Amino acid sequence: MDFELSEEQKAIQTMVREFAEREIAPVAQELDEREEFPADIVRKLADLGLMGILFPKEYGGAAMDYISYALILEELGRYDASVALTVESHNSLCSNHIYLAGTEAQRRKYLPQLASGKVLGAWGLTEPASGSDAAGMQTTATLDGVHWVLNGTKNFITQGSVAGIYVIMAITDRSKREKGISAFILEKGTPGFRAGRKEHKMGFRASDTAQLIFEGARIPKENLLGELNHGFIDTLMILDAGRIGMAALSIGIARGALEESLKYAKERQAFGQPIANYQAIQWKLADMATEIDAARLLALQAADLRDRGQPFTKEAAYGKLFASEIAMKAASEAVQIHGGYGYIKEFPVERYFRDAKFCAIGEGTSEIQRLIIARQLLGRSYI
Amino acid sequence: MPVNIIVCIKQIIDPEIPASQFKIDPGTKRQVQGSHSLVISAYDQNAIEVAVQLKEKHGGKVTAVSVGGASAATALKSALSMGADEAILVDDPAIVASDQQGIAHVLATATQKVGVFDLILTGCVSGDWGDRAVPAFMAEELGIGCVGFVSRIEAKDGQVVLRRVVEDGYELIEAKTPVLVSIISDETNTPRYPKLKDIMAAGKKTIPVWKAADLGVDSERIGAAAARALITDVYLPVKESKCEMIEGDTPQEQAVKLAARLRELKLI
Ligand SMILES: Cc1cc2nc3c(=O)[nH]c(=O)nc-3n(C[C@H](O)[C@H](O)[C@H](O)COP(=O)(O)OP(=O)(O)OC[C@H]3O[C@@H](n4cnc5c(N)ncnc54)[C@H](O)[C@@H]3O)c2cc1C
Repeated sequence: MDFELSEEQKAIQTMVREFAEREIAPVAQELDEREEFPADIVRKLADLGLMGILFPKEYGGAAMDYISYALILEELGRYDASVALTVESHNSLCSNHIYLAGTEAQRRKYLPQLASGKVLGAWGLTEPASGSDAAGMQTTATLDGVHWVLNGTKNFITQGSVAGIYVIMAITDRSKREKGISAFILEKGTPGFRAGRKEHKMGFRASDTAQLIFEGARIPKENLLGELNHGFIDTLMILDAGRIGMAALSIGIARGALEESLKYAKERQAFGQPIANYQAIQWKLADMATEIDAARLLALQAADLRDRGQPFTKEAAYGKLFASEIAMKAASEAVQIHGGYGYIKEFPVERYFRDAKFCAIGEGTSEIQRLIIARQLLGRSYI
Repeated sequence: MPVNIIVCIKQIIDPEIPASQFKIDPGTKRQVQGSHSLVISAYDQNAIEVAVQLKEKHGGKVTAVSVGGASAATALKSALSMGADEAILVDDPAIVASDQQGIAHVLATATQKVGVFDLILTGCVSGDWGDRAVPAFMAEELGIGCVGFVSRIEAKDGQVVLRRVVEDGYELIEAKTPVLVSIISDETNTPRYPKLKDIMAAGKKTIPVWKAADLGVDSERIGAAAARALITDVYLPVKESKCEMIEGDTPQEQAVKLAARLRELKLI
């Protein structure tokens, strides 16, 4: 067992940390308030290779391992969870689905565009009436000559209104439930497809979340992604790896909560001394730090298993579950340590608190993570 | 015309740490690293940026050289990931505790071993000791010109135009190459963030380690025994703060008195 990062991993961590401190931190609060998508930052991230992290160089990617990926998302999440989610969903969900399930022609056509950051990726599974129960979707795809015709609505889709390339899950054989779902690649501008309402959110306000509407949207037959009726199985695989990213992003938020709290506890005086002198505050800080480290170890364990080609479903769920829940806890304690100042917008912990809540909802709620873990422990016969 | 450049970089303890965490070892009279990270001295990073930009424009080769311990390889990898083509570490126990002239001698011999160069770049001042001596000593040793505090370099027709920052403005200096230039920061030479792929490529490159003997260094001129500058004491300045109330009947009067007092204290 080796807990030491490689020289390259450390260099990547340093680079992203410096970038986040200098380029993202100063504008994060304003982007949040204005609900503004960080297009400039995304362009710069693309130039550094962060919009094509996971896939190989021949498709324009940086061919990074999952440990590096987790380090990158933690650093981005430290200052701006919205930027981190943009990078996460673009890489983990849309790009990774095309890379892992796509044909050679699809990879060559779409991945270099996604890596360049000139075109953003989105991934549509959730619908107005189905989230956790993703297989209960209503959107359909029917073959009509050389086209697939999509009808339905997708909900809460990250990069929904700013993406250029979409991966969409739809029913291709209703009688087979999850074994009758397929994935498709769809481009912006496809007739019959449009982005609908942009959501106004509690947190992650600089991340773009929108509805997608398909009214007889016609896409070429060759845009089926992966095998016919295999879309749901691929989706589970994509979400497994995505959880490593969501765990890392959550750890970033938690670390922000701790770092801001450490700073504040030393500065803030009450009853003639810094509040850091009080054990009630010290214990909060100690718990936060311990839980952050535990969460990081879980996330990196899952990443390491993934990198070594070992099964990692359960470990990724551990990481996502634990990291997202301690992020909420850390953010809540950070607001508490800041007292009244924690509740107003001058201090960033107010934003961390709003952002952290989503971590236990997106890409599988905490309840669903526990379900996944329990299934791994008990076997499928106990569902 | 391609420009071949050697950039000398120094790895130092992160100077951004709070003063309260700054510790001095009374024996060696050097800062204790503790858990603080090591970084490339800030202006040296600007020097790398200037070098890489020149290479991108004119072609040529950038070689980064550092005198230091094994850890300095990380600084050199960082230079490689920013676009340097090669990096060389000069690491020898005999060099430890050399003074500025000793280090300049080692660097000068190292640059001669690298071979042909048009420019040698350094930072204008190091972020730890800050005594600005090495560039000039090095140029003297190599018998080439030296221009300090330069923010921009333009290369044309076998010579370079150097923009040297002076109080209230800048001077443009034409210099024949080879020349040694020390670099100061400005908005054109902000160090770039290395790209993921360049970090990985740098990871794969090997950094040769040269010993004093490989360079033909004069052993009489290096190490603590040869040092001509001796540090007798290093201490943290004691910071005192006191509060002085400025009296006055009206805000205007208070402001005038405040300004007068600040001027008296030579603060404005
Ligand atoms: C900001 C944001 C961005 C998003 N981005 C995307 C995206 O890019 N792509 C995408 O496809 N989706 C996206 N989503 C959707 C997100 O993945 C879903 O909201 C999430 O999976 C939960 O689904 P739901 O909202 O339908 O809740 P529901 O599934 O309706 O859940 C409601 C509650 O019931 C619980 N529950 C449900 N089933 C069970 C069960 N079997 N056992 C115990 N408890 C259960 C849940 O845990 C939850 O507490 C995003 C959502 C948001 C808010």
